Amino acid sequence: MQTTRARLGRQLLDARTRAIREPVRCFSASASRGVREPPPPPPKAPQDGTTHFGFETVAEALKEQRVRGVFSSVASSYDSMNDFMSLGIHRLWKDHFVRNLNPGRNPLTSSSAADTQGWNILDIAGGTGDIAFRMLDHASHINNDAHTNVTVADINPDMLAEGKKRSLQTPYARSPRLRFVEANAEKLDMIPDNSIDLYTVAFGIRNFTHKDVALREAFRVLKPGGVFACLEFSKVENPLFNAVYQQWSFNAIPYIGQLVAGDRASYQYLVESIARFPSQEEFSGMIRDAGFLIPGKGYENLTDGIAAIHKGVKPAN
Amino acid sequence: MPATTRIPSTLLGAVRASTSRVTPPIRQRCAYHSYDYAQPPPFPPAETKILSSAYAHVPNHGFTVDALKLGARDAGYLDASTNLFPRGVFDLINYHLVTQRLALKDSVQFPEEKDGKKLGVGSKVRSLTLARLRANEPVLHRWQEALAIMAQPTYIPPSLHELAALADEIWFLAGDQSVDTSWYTKRATLSTIYSTTEVFMTQDTSKNFV
Repeated sequence: MQTTRARLGRQLLDARTRAIREPVRCFSASASRGVREPPPPPPKAPQDGTTHFGFETVAEALKEQRVRGVFSSVASSYDSMNDFMSLGIHRLWKDHFVRNLNPGRNPLTSSSAADTQGWNILDIAGGTGDIAFRMLDHASHINNDAHTNVTVADINPDMLAEGKKRSLQTPYARSPRLRFVEANAEKLDMIPDNSIDLYTVAFGIRNFTHKDVALREAFRVLKPGGVFACLEFSKVENPLFNAVYQQWSFNAIPYIGQLVAGDRASYQYLVESIARFPSQEEFSGMIRDAGFLIPGKGYENLTDGIAAIHKGVKPAN
Repeated sequence: MPATTRIPSTLLGAVRASTSRVTPPIRQRCAYHSYDYAQPPPFPPAETKILSSAYAHVPNHGFTVDALKLGARDAGYLDASTNLFPRGVFDLINYHLVTQRLALKDSVQFPEEKDGKKLGVGSKVRSLTLARLRANEPVLHRWQEALAIMAQPTYIPPSLHELAALADEIWFLAGDQSVDTSWYTKRATLSTIYSTTEVFMTQDTSKNFV
């Protein structure tokens, strides 16, 4: 009892001499409540149950919510913002991405007439439907395939609503070829195993809390021989161009976000999340570790590395 | 986490697609041809399966994406699996070039002695070159398309690389042991002769290529 009081007294004295102003407990408080815990050490590594949100560190459980918040606020002006930030080049990237994958099963090359299955495509984090519509158009017009279908999955209902609105302008709006599903990429329970020919994620994977869990889910839902394709911002190889690019990213983009969409914070998050995304080789390694076969070196740089297409193929046996 | 081994790029650097999903058994990888160690197969297993099935479709469909897709289906993969080939159709052409070149070793045997004289290097080169030209026969009616694809700027370096590798292979199998500049001149002349003959062959309508 005596020692506890002495300890308390000493702590009160320390509190007064400390620069930080903390609430001081009086002697009548019980010893256990009076003893102030030392402040918890700052979280260093993701093993503590935290992850990065741009350059901030947040608890893992919160990241999903914060990401949802970011995309809810940018949903309606998503395309115009992309146009400003990438100077319209994002359309070229997405076109190249889709053409390179060449979705669709040409009925003329199949020997049996009963081969009327198109591809089952799963587009993750594709809320506004950019990639989905391109895939369907490519399959229908280039490969004359009327059976390929796309499931658009997104964690954010506002982005999905935007996608549904845009789909009304396409011929696929109320057809079985396009459906919208609200889902978390780390937990795709509504998609059966070994059912998807092509799993795509365009500019979405850097927002995932656990990329490796998402990669394993991708491995599960893909058919043997199926393709995982990811279009994402990446590291610019050329150091000179990189310096210019970093200046543009961190100075111009949040400012444009403020001007055009009135939302500086979301665009700040965007450029920070790009900076935190692993490099091309690292991410290819992660794809390989999830069990995929890597074609060539595993990635293709677009615009000297500003964006990169990563591919993986699920082994057939 | 399976460790991945970096295959040291040999002269087939541009050719080998690296799909190292499983750690291969430890074996010596030589940067040169060795009699003591078996050479690893030129392509990884999944690509080999798809390309060999696709090759069977080339006479009917040509060196096209259709042949690749049909090959993928035959091998038990999906149409989407053609994404394993970042260079698209050129990978199929390259498969033809590499496999025919590697087949020369086993497909051509020289008689030990002929009329009491050993076969000279020159005549060995001749028979090897003719054998390689004959190997083009099954796909010859599609070879002009292939040459057009090989002539695209992105694919010129690997095509020339393969041509050089072929010339080297033929001289090596013929028993060439030169160590001076004639090493270079021999291969250069053979490359020129081979490529021009091949182009001529695509238009040769004579019976049995007389």
